[in-house]
Amino acid sequence: MSDVLSIVLKRLGLGLITLLVISILIFFAVELLPGDIAQAVLGQGATEENLKALREQLGLNQPAIFRYLEWLGGAVQGDFGVSLISGRSVAETIGPRFAATLFLASYAAVIAVPIAILLGIIVALLRDSIFDRVANVLTLTSISSPEFFLGYVLILYLAVKNPWFPALANVNFQDIGTVELYYRTFLPALTMVLVVVAHMMRMTRASIINLLASPYIEMARLKGTPAWKVIVKHALPNAWAPIINVVALNLAYLITGVVLVEVVFVYPGIGQLLVDSVTKRDFPVVQACCLIFAATFILLNLAADVGAILTNPRLRHPK
Amino acid sequence: MNYFVIGYYALLIGASCLAAYYSVRSAFLLLFSLTLVSFIVGIVGGESALWTITICAGILALCIGTAYAFREFLVIVLWGEGSKAIKTAPLTATFGLFVIMTYAIAGIFAPIIAPYGEAEVIAGAFAPADENMLLGADQLGRDLFSRLVFGARNTVGIALLATTFAFVLGALAGLIAATLGGFFDNLMSRVVDVIMSVPSLIFALLLLSIMGTNAFVLIFIIAIIYAPRVFRLTRAVAGNVVVMDYIEAARLRGEGLWYLIRREILPNSTAPLIAEFGLEFCFVFLLVAGLSFLGLGIQPPTADWGSMVRENATLISFGEITPLFPAGAIALLTVAVNFVVDWMLFRSSGLKG
Repeated sequence: MSDVLSIVLKRLGLGLITLLVISILIFFAVELLPGDIAQAVLGQGATEENLKALREQLGLNQPAIFRYLEWLGGAVQGDFGVSLISGRSVAETIGPRFAATLFLASYAAVIAVPIAILLGIIVALLRDSIFDRVANVLTLTSISSPEFFLGYVLILYLAVKNPWFPALANVNFQDIGTVELYYRTFLPALTMVLVVVAHMMRMTRASIINLLASPYIEMARLKGTPAWKVIVKHALPNAWAPIINVVALNLAYLITGVVLVEVVFVYPGIGQLLVDSVTKRDFPVVQACCLIFAATFILLNLAADVGAILTNPRLRHPK
Repeated sequence: MNYFVIGYYALLIGASCLAAYYSVRSAFLLLFSLTLVSFIVGIVGGESALWTITICAGILALCIGTAYAFREFLVIVLWGEGSKAIKTAPLTATFGLFVIMTYAIAGIFAPIIAPYGEAEVIAGAFAPADENMLLGADQLGRDLFSRLVFGARNTVGIALLATTFAFVLGALAGLIAATLGGFFDNLMSRVVDVIMSVPSLIFALLLLSIMGTNAFVLIFIIAIIYAPRVFRLTRAVAGNVVVMDYIEAARLRGEGLWYLIRREILPNSTAPLIAEFGLEFCFVFLLVAGLSFLGLGIQPPTADWGSMVRENATLISFGEITPLFPAGAIALLTVAVNFVVDWMLFRSSGLKG
């Protein structure tokens, strides 16, 4: 058991280092600005006094290394500084929006994961049949379509032509009940479900087919084991690792692919905040959002790796 | 019940019986499951839902017909290896080729095809379609069809340029890393690891917020973001070639790095690289479209599909499908490229399943 622990710890350490490097990247990317942040915010017409005052306020007089360490120290404690535009604390602005995004992503995931895995396995078992081909074309189409295309198609047919669901998910979390919340956010969730199910189905299908081609499955079949038993007893234990991997990778996709969907449906999540801040060039918010997105992405990839290690005896006991 | 509904089910059931009689199993399965689905959809959605299914089936049949005719055409027009390869190509691949050709023609001859200029105001805002304007006008009264045609040039052009740039950068670094090995290889691999651990859209947004938005910055940023993926693949492919005996022989002959890459390694790794170019193009194209949709990509008044969707999005709430045309154009091209890439991957690797 200590073996497994050390491998997992090593993997976690590697993830932490990556995150550290990315925080450096995110912080110093802003330093690439022609001039400095103060100049970028105030524009060409700024007077020398204004510039000086803003530099003083932002602490730009200190060397970059100090500011980075200060920023990182704050970020670890959940303090990302102050927004340049509104003057409010960044953490306060991001907090509820991040919760909203997590809600939407998990809503989509809870629907998408079981459907995708089930369909992926069915399609893998029916491979090369007409259903498999149709599913292949459909999933490829769904993957290739931009999220905003799917979103607008859904709005047109499920909200405008047949007014079944609200087109905009501009929800306020305090005011409405749980059922109403799920109802209002159904369309954005469905958009993400469509994309993610297609991705996951293809990946599940590929890994299951890979598995079913292995000799021991053929052996089980030849000795006359019933089909369901081949799947449940022989294939499934080895299929867990790839399936966990597929799920984690797609959750990572959900967290980041949410940006476009949020903009289409005017959902008050962190993705929309990021886009707004990029347009307004509100750097502290952009940095904080990027760091959060990157951290989530790395964490989920890490989870995929750890899951693969735990379910695969060959990785658990490396030579 | 009216004649349409009766005819609809009669046709479906008749066709599935015919398919069953001539034991065309796959066609039967498809037709009969369509009949069953129609029963459910017809009960829930009524006659209009059945019309939708009919129209979809009609469009699908048209696509299949086009693909089939185009394949026959290509088999006759091409010669030698190309003709042989096309003959065995699936219909999806030839459909993809047909779509790509159409887009290429639209992009290259845009000023000739488009009836109006891309920023020319000719009507009132959101004017409906008439004999002058095929698809109506956009929010400033510009002809939507002309802008769609010009968009083929601008959006696809920028995506193509960015992909090429990323590809040259990534492939060159990958080839050098695989050939040299050692320190350079390690350094590049670590850099690539870091860039790839940030989601691409987020990274693009970060860089765009810093550098501002114009076409050159966009191309540069996308190249930086996507070069690592190309690097990884190239390094893996070239890594398999580098260990071959003939490379050893060339090294012993005293050939230089550039000769090794150009004459020995590159010719033996083209097939996966070309397929990768197609895949990469899809990702880049979707990213460019997404950024433009967010208002951070290609800037107005340049006609561009992503920003056209955003500008006309309000029409959706009036039940108009106009904003879906540019979005559909994006989806169609990506699907087409993916179909072709799928076929090429299948051919180059003999991949089964």
